[in-house]
Amino acid sequence: MPTNGQIGLLLAAVALFTLGGAFSLARALRDRPGLRAPSRWCAIAGVGCAIAVLVWHSIHRGSWVPLEDNFDALTFLAVMLALFVMYVQRVRPLAGLDWFVWPTVILLLIGAAVFGRVRPHVYTENAWSVVHRASSYGGAVAFAVAAAVGSMYLIASRRLRNRTTHPGPNMGSLERLEGLMLHSVTLGFALLTIGLVTGVVRMFREGAVAANWTLGPKIWLTVAIWLVYALVLHAPMTSGFRGRKAAMLSIVGFALMVGTVVVVQFMPRSVR
Amino acid sequence: MRRLLLLGLNHATAPLEVREKLAFSGSQRREALLAFKARFPDAEAVLLSTCNRVELYVGRAVHGQPRMEAMVEFLAAFHNLDASRFRGHLYERANAEVVEHLFKVASSLDSMVLGESQIIGQVREAYDAAREAGLAGNMLHPLFQRAVAVGRQVMTRTVIGDGRLSVASVAVEYARRIFEQFADKTVLSIGAGKMATLVLKHFADLKPGRLLVCNRDLGKAQKLAERFGGMAVEFDRLDDHLVAADVVVSSTGSSLPILTRARFDPLRRLRRYRPIFLIDIALPRDIEAGVGDFDNVYLYNIDHLQQVVSETQTNRRESVDAAKAIVASEVTAFAAWHRQRELGPMIEKLYARWHEVAGSELARTLNKLPNLDADQRKAVEDLARRIVNKVLHEPVRRLRQGDGATAANTPGLSAMEQLFGLNEPTKAGPDDEAGDTSQ
Repeated sequence: MPTNGQIGLLLAAVALFTLGGAFSLARALRDRPGLRAPSRWCAIAGVGCAIAVLVWHSIHRGSWVPLEDNFDALTFLAVMLALFVMYVQRVRPLAGLDWFVWPTVILLLIGAAVFGRVRPHVYTENAWSVVHRASSYGGAVAFAVAAAVGSMYLIASRRLRNRTTHPGPNMGSLERLEGLMLHSVTLGFALLTIGLVTGVVRMFREGAVAANWTLGPKIWLTVAIWLVYALVLHAPMTSGFRGRKAAMLSIVGFALMVGTVVVVQFMPRSVR
Repeated sequence: MRRLLLLGLNHATAPLEVREKLAFSGSQRREALLAFKARFPDAEAVLLSTCNRVELYVGRAVHGQPRMEAMVEFLAAFHNLDASRFRGHLYERANAEVVEHLFKVASSLDSMVLGESQIIGQVREAYDAAREAGLAGNMLHPLFQRAVAVGRQVMTRTVIGDGRLSVASVAVEYARRIFEQFADKTVLSIGAGKMATLVLKHFADLKPGRLLVCNRDLGKAQKLAERFGGMAVEFDRLDDHLVAADVVVSSTGSSLPILTRARFDPLRRLRRYRPIFLIDIALPRDIEAGVGDFDNVYLYNIDHLQQVVSETQTNRRESVDAAKAIVASEVTAFAAWHRQRELGPMIEKLYARWHEVAGSELARTLNKLPNLDADQRKAVEDLARRIVNKVLHEPVRRLRQGDGATAANTPGLSAMEQLFGLNEPTKAGPDDEAGDTSQ
């Protein structure tokens, strides 16, 4: 169970990411290049706060695996996402990536503050569980990125089709966005597949295979996510699912994944 | 004390025939600067020569050389021209006007194409050439460095340099928003006319993997393809080329659309639904508007591209006021900085000179008053010092203020310099000043 101090620090990270996103948005909309530095420093400070929370929480409960409860798993996810954005912006900047990823980061941190406080529980029972959770969460990060980049693709594509004369923020070329989206989906798909397999193995090992387990919404949703991303991955090969359709599918896949998380959080274990 | 002069002509004051006669190539500029240095060893000079302007910036002592007339003669002599052939096209500036003019030039506010950023590099090159020739000293050195910085500031803080000003460059800009790299892309030109040449020139700069020219007259296609390192292809196999192409530039003289929706639809599958950028710059149009409704097809005609050009021109015009405000504030800041730099040593000299006079008079007086005790002596010494400070306070204050618009209160400084003999006696006689309107 996180302490009040940890929750406070987490909310400080939320505030910093919100402020950084606002600076970034104002920079583009009001054409103020000077806001680039404050935006970057807010993001760095936000990541710093979130990492500090993870460290503090780990010391507090005497374990360094950041996947043992909702609080540190969701915080860890947010940190991974934020670090990915910062890496891309440093290596090859993509204007607007933060506008699309920061909301997810902020929601994850708020989720950590709410669910981490309400439903503390220990997940990690054995190595299968660790691999299952690590790959599932890793896949979630990759799908969140794919959804963000997919949204950017749709906006950039729409602007081009509408022949918008004002150049707007340089979101990168459609080709780059599509490439980044497919790379994220490839990574996420691989991790999700590992997560699925290890999840099944774990269920068998734990003897949790009941007569109706295949009908559980969590399982159906996961299979649906898997199928959607399989379709996106095959987009370059299958004729009809390139570009905008692939982008829309990556967003649908992410929405399904969020649905799965909600199912996992709120439904009784027997129904899942 | 130094003086700043400018003599020049540009696209607004001189026709091309005059500008080209006075223009300097890179090697000519070096030669001219060395000749200038030999003739006026105490002066600083920067020679800015572009296709739209030739300007000679000079920094010299107030009573030094060259004067404007000598600068005109220098330009005429270097190009072996009669000065009367271009004198009427010249403009002259002095001091703060020079600063303002140069800042406007570097900000492209004085350019033929408003907002072109090439001028910053040209100003920088001119300054570098002068520096290499040992002609940029403590007057032109800070001025040109500041000018380059102001030019960059205007480009980044306003939208004066944003956007594209030709249909071809707009097309390339859009292509860059669709494709990340062009080394693996195929650019296809349908038609080999003037417009196709213009657009292909821009696309050839992107170094595409393949550049195909498809025209009914294969000879014409071959000629154009050779020019840009491309390949001429047969018009009869246009569908195959459309399947291979990523960017299509169409500019034929056909009265009916070449690419209809019905024709393109089956090609999409063969293309595996890859994105395609279609640029239709023909009138009447070569590509049916319905083709642009397909997914991953981006169709732009001449009106779409022209609209961007018009918007760029409007935006640039609208940002002129913002750019001028930056220039004005920078001119004021530079003038203030320059005034301080000019005044500092002069004022120090002035005070030193008058305190020296007061000191010697004080010594004489004190010799005549041997009975003064230490306190009384100190009081007399303080009196002398205070009188000097009070006498000089008002003129120095006025000098520091300047007139708010010029780099320094030059006439005041000059008068002060001469009246109080603060500098070495000038070698220039009274006749030297006659007829020089730049003073």
